[in-house]
Amino acid sequence: MSPMHWDWLVWFLKANVIYGGLLGTAAGMTLAERKVSAWMQYRHGPNRVGPWGLLQPIADGVKFIFKESLTPDGANKWLFRCAPALAAIPSMLTIAVIPMGPAIPFIPGDYKYFSITDLDIGLMYLLSIGGLSIYGIILGSWASNSKFSLLGGLRASAQMISYELTLILSILAVVTLTGSLDLRDAVAAQSGAIWEWHVFSQPLAFILFSIAAFAETNRHPFDFAECEPELVSGFHTEYSSMRFAMFALGEYCAMVVIASLWTTLFLGGYNVPFWEDAPWFLCIGAFLAKTSIFLFLFLWVRWTLPRFRFDQLMALGWKVFLPLALANLFLTGAAVSYGVKLW
Amino acid sequence: MAEVFFYALSALAVLFALGVVLAKSPMMSVLNLLGSFFCLSVIYLLAGFQFMAAAQILVYAGAILVLFLFVIMLLNLGDISAHSTGFLGALRSTGAKIGVAVAVAIGLALLISVNLGMLGLKPAESLPDGIDGMTGIATELFGRYALPFEAVSVLLLATMVAVVVLAKRQRPGTDARKS
Amino acid sequence: MVIVRRKDLSLLEKLYLPEIARGLSITFRKLFEKKITRQYPEEPLPTNEVTRGQPRLVVKDDGHIACVSCGMCEIACPAYAITIDGGETDRAIEREPVRFDIDMLRCILCGFCEEACPKDAIYMSNELELADYSRAALVYDMEKLKRPKAALQKRIDYVYRLNNRWRKSSSTR
Repeated sequence: MSPMHWDWLVWFLKANVIYGGLLGTAAGMTLAERKVSAWMQYRHGPNRVGPWGLLQPIADGVKFIFKESLTPDGANKWLFRCAPALAAIPSMLTIAVIPMGPAIPFIPGDYKYFSITDLDIGLMYLLSIGGLSIYGIILGSWASNSKFSLLGGLRASAQMISYELTLILSILAVVTLTGSLDLRDAVAAQSGAIWEWHVFSQPLAFILFSIAAFAETNRHPFDFAECEPELVSGFHTEYSSMRFAMFALGEYCAMVVIASLWTTLFLGGYNVPFWEDAPWFLCIGAFLAKTSIFLFLFLWVRWTLPRFRFDQLMALGWKVFLPLALANLFLTGAAVSYGVKLW
Repeated sequence: MAEVFFYALSALAVLFALGVVLAKSPMMSVLNLLGSFFCLSVIYLLAGFQFMAAAQILVYAGAILVLFLFVIMLLNLGDISAHSTGFLGALRSTGAKIGVAVAVAIGLALLISVNLGMLGLKPAESLPDGIDGMTGIATELFGRYALPFEAVSVLLLATMVAVVVLAKRQRPGTDARKS
Repeated sequence: MVIVRRKDLSLLEKLYLPEIARGLSITFRKLFEKKITRQYPEEPLPTNEVTRGQPRLVVKDDGHIACVSCGMCEIACPAYAITIDGGETDRAIEREPVRFDIDMLRCILCGFCEEACPKDAIYMSNELELADYSRAALVYDMEKLKRPKAALQKRIDYVYRLNNRWRKSSSTR
């Protein structure tokens, strides 16, 4: 086969492996969520389907497929059907630019980077496409013709706009240090010793990003789009069956993506600390390990902290996080432009 | 190939733009606007302006239209859709007349610029060699055009303050100028 | 009117993050603590003679059923779960039931039949599980209800002990 065909084959392989991994992780997270919550509450969690309940996600999937998909009376049917896909697709698309490993010899002697694609504007792409997942929530909530859904959608849109600012500004501080929007450059800048990681040179941005990540993925303690005690189930109150599952899938995929972004920007990506020429499988292992730390943090925080109040969330976002992020960006920019080594 | 895409996307963008004006429900207008923005963004991509394309989606689709939706969801939609009387009714309204005027103006500008050859489809021709799109934009924006850039942001801020002052409801017994 | 004075927060508490870390450490420790959930079908509930499970009929040591189909339990049953048809025998005890059905879907496990029975023939066993695929299968007939006396002996002793509290020494027994 010609080299071009090889390229296509490698690309096909990479895309399949990465998307399979993403969806598999998302499915695994639904089980992990129930297991971790159970363990924190002296329970066992699901343990009936398969060994230790490991096949539970499959059972859930089958159940979702066979349930009846209801459309409420008075709903905008076209939008109602589109919304779950709109919520799920953007968060799945964004995984494409995350560099998950160094160059790998897919074919002996022919090294290819282990990421679906590398863009000069990888971060811009990730943020812009990732920001679109809110449309699924808003349109779904509006099309449901239900007051609980509408309130959930309203809260989600206000919350996303507010915390996207903090998220982007904290990322920009890191971008200022590396001087590139290409995520692979961000990883390269953190190679070598562990103190090269941006978590040490940008601790404030690290904390702000972590908190804003919870708000962006609609996770506890900021899950105001759902908010069971007040809004029944928020934006997906009226959804059932596979449509509901698509919303859940979108949420979990967004969690996986933001956890990998967290790893890439702050924890050195796929670098193995103190070993610059680590073999590629160790690099991928390091990436997965670091990502799973943050995925666990998502679950851990959810089952520890109570939900905020909505006005507290807004006040926190605009009066605390935004000024902090701006100040951090300003200081970083000043330090970089005057050549001060921060770390 | 790129030209075929360009014309197809342009046609689609115009169709979406028509949809914005003609849609009965404001929600549908916003969605049409979203589609139009996406077509524009892909056109930027075709022209090689990756940064512009991403910024278009990030700022307009990701933030501004979400705010539109936010406002629309707060409105009482029933009243608005009751006023609309279809295509002919839309044409007769004052807004449509202004819209037609603007469309004619834009069309004229477009014709002139096409004839001047300024709508070239070759990727990033105007940028100096050895500078990728983003660095070029940054150097231009914060170098040569720093003053206009800042002026525009001050203008936007002034507009925002003006709108807040105009929309602020006057309570009886208070002086609007003081508050 | 009650004025609630909230506790003044120290600077560290106002920063939230240390307190959040404290909360997280608590939940993390709980992850590894002993689970208290009972894995029910594998680990059944502990039962003893006080457990008031489903009623069962006593089969005496000579192999015959203790019931004489007097109908006391049928009358006592508040849920109308018991149906008895009596018949005759050639033995010294002349009567025994031909049919003794308890509709387990109606039975409320109140134990009135046990109290009403003059012949120590029906007792509440420690059997609690009740699941089947049809309603008809849950109407238990005599064969399903029969238990050897030895299996119910603990309960029988317990009921006697309980009743002895009210029994005067002069009482006939």
